[in-house]
Amino acid sequence: MAEAGILLKLRSVSKSYGATAILHSIDLDVRDGEFITILGPSGSGKTTILRLIGGFTQPSGGQILLDGSDIAAMPINRRPFNTVFQDYALFPHLTVEANVGYGLAVRGTPRAEITKRVADALELVQLGPLGKRFPAQLSGGQRQRVALARAIICRPRLILLDEPLAALDVELRRHMQTFLKSIQTEIRTTFLFVTHDQEEAIAMADRICVMSAGRIEQIGSPHEVYYRPGTEFVAKFFGENNLVPGTLGPVEGTTRAIDTAVGRLVCSIDGQPKIAALPAGSPALAVFRPEAVGIGDAAEGENRIAARIDQVAFGGASTMVNTAAVYEPQQILKARLQSRPDGTSLSQGETIPLVVPASACRLVAA
Amino acid sequence: MRFADRAAPTLLITLTLFVFVLLYGPLMVPIVSSFFTVSHGTVDWSQPTTSAYVALTQNDSVLSALWTTLIVGAGAVVLSVALGTGLALYYASPNAKGRNFLQFIIFLPFLMPPIITGLALLIFFRQVEFERSLLTIIIGHTVFVLALVYRTILTRLQSLSGSLVEASYDLGASSWQTFRLVLLPNLSSAMAGAAILAFALSFDETMITLLVTGTQSTLPVRLWAMMRLGFTPDINALVALVLLFTTALCLIAVRYLMPASAVAGSDDN
Amino acid sequence: MSDSAAHAGPHRLTPWLATLAAYIVPLGFVLAPMALFLVYSFFSVDHGSIVFSPTISNYVRFFTDPVFLPIFWRTCLLCLAVALLCVLFAFPVAYFLTTLRGRSRYMLLVLLLVPLLMSYVIKIYAVRSILGGNGMLNRALLATGLIDKPSMLFVFNLNAVLLTLTVLLIPFAVLPIFLSLERIPKALRHASADLGATNAQTFWRVTVPLSLPGTLSAMSFVFVLAIGDFLTPQMVGGQSGFTFGRIIYSQFGTAFNWPFGAALSVILAAVVILAIRLGGRLESKHGGAK
Repeated sequence: MAEAGILLKLRSVSKSYGATAILHSIDLDVRDGEFITILGPSGSGKTTILRLIGGFTQPSGGQILLDGSDIAAMPINRRPFNTVFQDYALFPHLTVEANVGYGLAVRGTPRAEITKRVADALELVQLGPLGKRFPAQLSGGQRQRVALARAIICRPRLILLDEPLAALDVELRRHMQTFLKSIQTEIRTTFLFVTHDQEEAIAMADRICVMSAGRIEQIGSPHEVYYRPGTEFVAKFFGENNLVPGTLGPVEGTTRAIDTAVGRLVCSIDGQPKIAALPAGSPALAVFRPEAVGIGDAAEGENRIAARIDQVAFGGASTMVNTAAVYEPQQILKARLQSRPDGTSLSQGETIPLVVPASACRLVAA
Repeated sequence: MRFADRAAPTLLITLTLFVFVLLYGPLMVPIVSSFFTVSHGTVDWSQPTTSAYVALTQNDSVLSALWTTLIVGAGAVVLSVALGTGLALYYASPNAKGRNFLQFIIFLPFLMPPIITGLALLIFFRQVEFERSLLTIIIGHTVFVLALVYRTILTRLQSLSGSLVEASYDLGASSWQTFRLVLLPNLSSAMAGAAILAFALSFDETMITLLVTGTQSTLPVRLWAMMRLGFTPDINALVALVLLFTTALCLIAVRYLMPASAVAGSDDN
Repeated sequence: MSDSAAHAGPHRLTPWLATLAAYIVPLGFVLAPMALFLVYSFFSVDHGSIVFSPTISNYVRFFTDPVFLPIFWRTCLLCLAVALLCVLFAFPVAYFLTTLRGRSRYMLLVLLLVPLLMSYVIKIYAVRSILGGNGMLNRALLATGLIDKPSMLFVFNLNAVLLTLTVLLIPFAVLPIFLSLERIPKALRHASADLGATNAQTFWRVTVPLSLPGTLSAMSFVFVLAIGDFLTPQMVGGQSGFTFGRIIYSQFGTAFNWPFGAALSVILAAVVILAIRLGGRLESKHGGAK
């Protein structure tokens, strides 16, 4: 997606209902052809962004720019976007074929062309033989695919997906995630996908926009938001993470030290000029993933923390070791180790040396 | 206590049967009597005859009253369904103003005793010098049944998922296309049921009609006039036919508006 | 529901047009007549033509003239009695209905609803045909030996009106009571049994109190229907069965005093509104959900 153009720009977009502010001054670029996921807990405003783009509601302030002009006043049916709704919104009185062809029919497309394009769309979502059925006769997953076909067929510039997989059970959801991603890659339409499920976001997105309480916390690739969280919220949102509070020390090349209750930790600030610019003594958090933590002797460029084991939790492929730092028992530290078939030699109460390489250790402003 | 437990079902059934006798018993009298002649106020049970029914077919005033009733019914149904649908759509739309007030006005003629609705309309027509005619009867009936038709259609409209309308717009349809292609097909059975109910109510409506009619008579008004005079075979025959008709209408309306599944009740008793 | 509908249309004019279209008929043909009606009650009549200057003489006349107030009270009491009787008969039927399931329940419900749609005048006529010195009712009573000569107790008087109205209005009472009985969660009855109560105790201690809101609402409903009826008293009331409704009707017929009739109707409307509000208040006070 290196040289992709920008399809849609949100500039200082805000939304309030009466005195309640839902979105605070959002700036967002949607790139042409990408799969962008808006991720956040409920109440974060993620669905509101989708509805603003789709035209189902109006912004209280700011602009939504398509090809340079503000489309905030453009009615829903004029916008070149199509939506896959959370409850699928299939027309119960129309067959699958009629549902899928609806967007073409209301535009006056000739009958023969509709038939052909509907057949193609159903083929794409693998529902070919079910064309004559009614939505009530389909399973949840099938209905989901009809909704998708109905949105794709109109060849919109952007497809909005409002938590479309929320109603499916876990197995089906995993399968649909792969399916959706492969479709998007094939037709190369821009997808804007809203979800609260962070695993889903990481699995599917080219870029993730993490939201909390009406503000954007961070926008980046799954890799970025996972390993280089920009805020404390993002650091805590994905999977398990270790956060150690402290004050910033001096910058040394691509690393910066942070003085914490468990000692001085050296963290990488590669590609994070903002962190480098912060004055020494500012409060910050050192952040590192449990899977980056090892046990044993520290080598050059690695941080060492003494910890006492609280609990060893076998979790299948990996085993989580929950510990408390020796010099700061309130500080919880987690290490995720690969499980061994013959069990672990670690036991509760044991004191062990935790090792974290500086490259895996990141800083977040507190 | 045990006796009470065992006696209860029998008692209930007996009471229910008694109530049914009260409800349907009196109706049997004119129906059965219609097949006999009446002299000096008593029924002559010796000779069954269908002469009363035959006489009806030649009774011009009854036939014209029937015709008037049908026209009024058709008019009231068309007006009330069109208005009721429009009002329901308005009520459900997001920019509607004064919803509660509007609904209150719509319900008023149905909640108030018909005598008040009829008198209010009578005075109104007099004041605006609108001559009492077939049209005033149609207006009176429409205003009366509107509440029921509106409520029926609104209930169905609200049971439709809100995202259906959004989806239609999202796919590029105009407001009119959305109404025609999405809303109307899903409302049609509620509209049909409401129409039948409205027709049945209009068919029987007497009190308002008596007040707002000019020279025309609907069937109930004609019946009323005939009934003031006594108990005669032609009234009985007409009564039997009307009862048959309204029962049939009711059964059809029930089929549209109240599927058996909604009434069945659960089994964990 | 979202504000989608408003933004799909290309013009912003549509919302105002829609509001206008929506309000025109209700305001024009319901509110205007009702308002006019109220206004009329403050006019008077002078030698057969209406005097359009405001006066409260109609209302004064109602309260002071020895004829109207007593009839008004009598009518109210009559309709109260009708309401009570209807509910008394309707309750067992509604309760019985709740004990049925599936097809039999459906059929019974339909059989109860059909009389609702039957012509009102026909029903009155049918009941009248069994009253009367030689009518079915008298003959049945004679046959069972309850009386030994035809009774004039209910022939062309207020008793006849009472009887007729009751028979006519029982179906209207069944439905609200049935619905309120249905809303009582079965879990409550099971809990009562679980705590050791017999069926009768559960009935009197749980079912009846909880169905009270619906019963009271049914009573107010029947009251309102009864008090507005002027056809029944006309047909079966004879000379002595004069109700308030009949008096109102005559003001627009033979007596030709529209303003006075309007005033009487306003009083009737006030009573009706009171009854409706009372019914609704009692229902919500006793926990009837809407």
